[in-house]
Amino acid sequence: MAIRFRQVSYAYPGYGLGNYDAIKNITLDIAAKGEFIALVGQTGSGKSTLAQHMNALIFPTEGTVEIFGKIVGPKRDRTIKYNELRRKVGLVFQFPEYQLFEETVEKDIMFGPMNFGVPEEAARKMAWTALDLVGLGPTYLKRNPLNLSGGEKKRVSIAGILAMEPQILVLDEPTSGLDPRGKATMMDLFKSIREATGKTIVVITHDMDLVYEYMDRVLVLDKGTLAFDGTPDELFRKPNLETLHLDYPATIRVLSAVAKDLGIAVDIYQKDVAAAVSAIQKAVRP
Amino acid sequence: MKNIVIGQYAPGKGFFYRLDPRTKIITVVFLMVAVFLLESILQVSIALFVTLFLMIIGKISIGRVAKGLRPLFVLLLFTFSFQIFLNREGALLLSQPMNIGLYSLLGVLVLTVLWRLLARFKKFKGLLFLFWLAGVYALFAYLPAIGPIFKVFDFEIYESGVVTSIFVVVRLLIVISLSTVLTLTTKPTDLTQGLESLLRPLKRLGVNSDDFALIISISLRYIPTILDEANKIMLAQASRGADFNEGKLVEKVKQIVSLLIPMFIIAFKRSEDLADAMESRNFVPGKPRTRIHELSFGMTDLVTAIFTVLVFAGAIVLRVLP
Repeated sequence: MAIRFRQVSYAYPGYGLGNYDAIKNITLDIAAKGEFIALVGQTGSGKSTLAQHMNALIFPTEGTVEIFGKIVGPKRDRTIKYNELRRKVGLVFQFPEYQLFEETVEKDIMFGPMNFGVPEEAARKMAWTALDLVGLGPTYLKRNPLNLSGGEKKRVSIAGILAMEPQILVLDEPTSGLDPRGKATMMDLFKSIREATGKTIVVITHDMDLVYEYMDRVLVLDKGTLAFDGTPDELFRKPNLETLHLDYPATIRVLSAVAKDLGIAVDIYQKDVAAAVSAIQKAVRP
Repeated sequence: MKNIVIGQYAPGKGFFYRLDPRTKIITVVFLMVAVFLLESILQVSIALFVTLFLMIIGKISIGRVAKGLRPLFVLLLFTFSFQIFLNREGALLLSQPMNIGLYSLLGVLVLTVLWRLLARFKKFKGLLFLFWLAGVYALFAYLPAIGPIFKVFDFEIYESGVVTSIFVVVRLLIVISLSTVLTLTTKPTDLTQGLESLLRPLKRLGVNSDDFALIISISLRYIPTILDEANKIMLAQASRGADFNEGKLVEKVKQIVSLLIPMFIIAFKRSEDLADAMESRNFVPGKPRTRIHELSFGMTDLVTAIFTVLVFAGAIVLRVLP
């Protein structure tokens, strides 16, 4: 296991009102290879805080996080090179505006690798590979990252992390603010990155359709506690998802309405539109 | 980064909270001037007690004010020591020959290391510092003059030095406590509204107090937001390997650039958004605006005004009388 959370809690200091517990008593394991994990939960449930623990950006107030054999506890340990952990677990923030600063896309992507001591020429190669991986052509290399569209900025910020060649990739709401087509392309991108490299990818998202269609493991946070850890199939077969402040994917909602209101006996658990259509066909014309 | 509190306003109830901000601002200014008019150590001591008494009446925790004084502790200490060592008037109170030699310097070094090691016990910080100071004094004064001696001098304290140092420190204490009480009991927005109202007569001179107040309140409003944003940018760049704690100078400069540029871009974008939001709610620069909360004077303001006038007059009388 590459990342192990053991009874991790994190409290943000509050003024006058006491501390605010963002996450409480979280215990979970994440493997280094081949996992495609969704981290879901309503706004303020602690998803981003949990993600920032994964590369030791913030330290737990209680408990420990073991990242590639290094144990991160509440106190800074001088024997641990935290920068190394941040290279192994790449974290992409929600808003690309928080990290893009160079005058060209190429330089901006090179910033990460060069911080880890990669020589300039090698970093340039890594930047080209990463840019190609996120589906932007070499024409983007010399462009100003601040003049790109929202989706392109997101891709460049992801490339900035990919260029560091992390073993695990964590993305904070990579699909927010994108149009439906952009979301699908982004998810296909992660799928292809996973197929090409075998890296574990953790994605924070609110979009249950994407979770159901693409992911093979879901972590549900509810008010700072880990309420569910399992496959999307298990999750969406639960009867009362509202108690976790989650919604069912569109396919399940439509098919259950079809089953209930039209009285058609159809298997409602279909992951995408094509599967849903063929399920209805099968039910209507056996 | 998170520990910076801008505007020390602490919600509460009490006499000072009910006062109109204009009364508070004028009162604090006049009381400060009055304190500077006082001349003797007895007078400032009485003024200090009056200040403490006022805080107790106003139900303001003195500990809270003391906390506000903490950053200024170094300044107070400097003022105190400069006065006490450099003022050479009046009767000689203490004269102690001091030897600065190899052994006493080594002793000071050991003492300092010990002090820094024990500094983990934050509770006894003040006490430890006093011990260190006393230890250094004892080393220079009483260590037998053995080994190489670099310099011999007399450590002297004069009466007027002690008096003025206490006088200056007490005066500073009062002035700082008064301004702390003001910021502790007045919301930043009320404070700017008060200032705006007080500066309105300056409009004839071409100073637009409305704009001035708006600028101040917007800046105050956005300081926490920008700090929060800076924190997020720092985390985002740290996850790309920018380590703001370690690294060589050249790397550090680059890392600070990676922090500053996104900050500027976000700040500009935010101000544009704010301008649009204000305009879409029909804000027109320079046009008069109405307020939800109009300031109004009450009985408490009258009482405070009378008290202030009395204190101020008293200070002038004390100053003028021989």
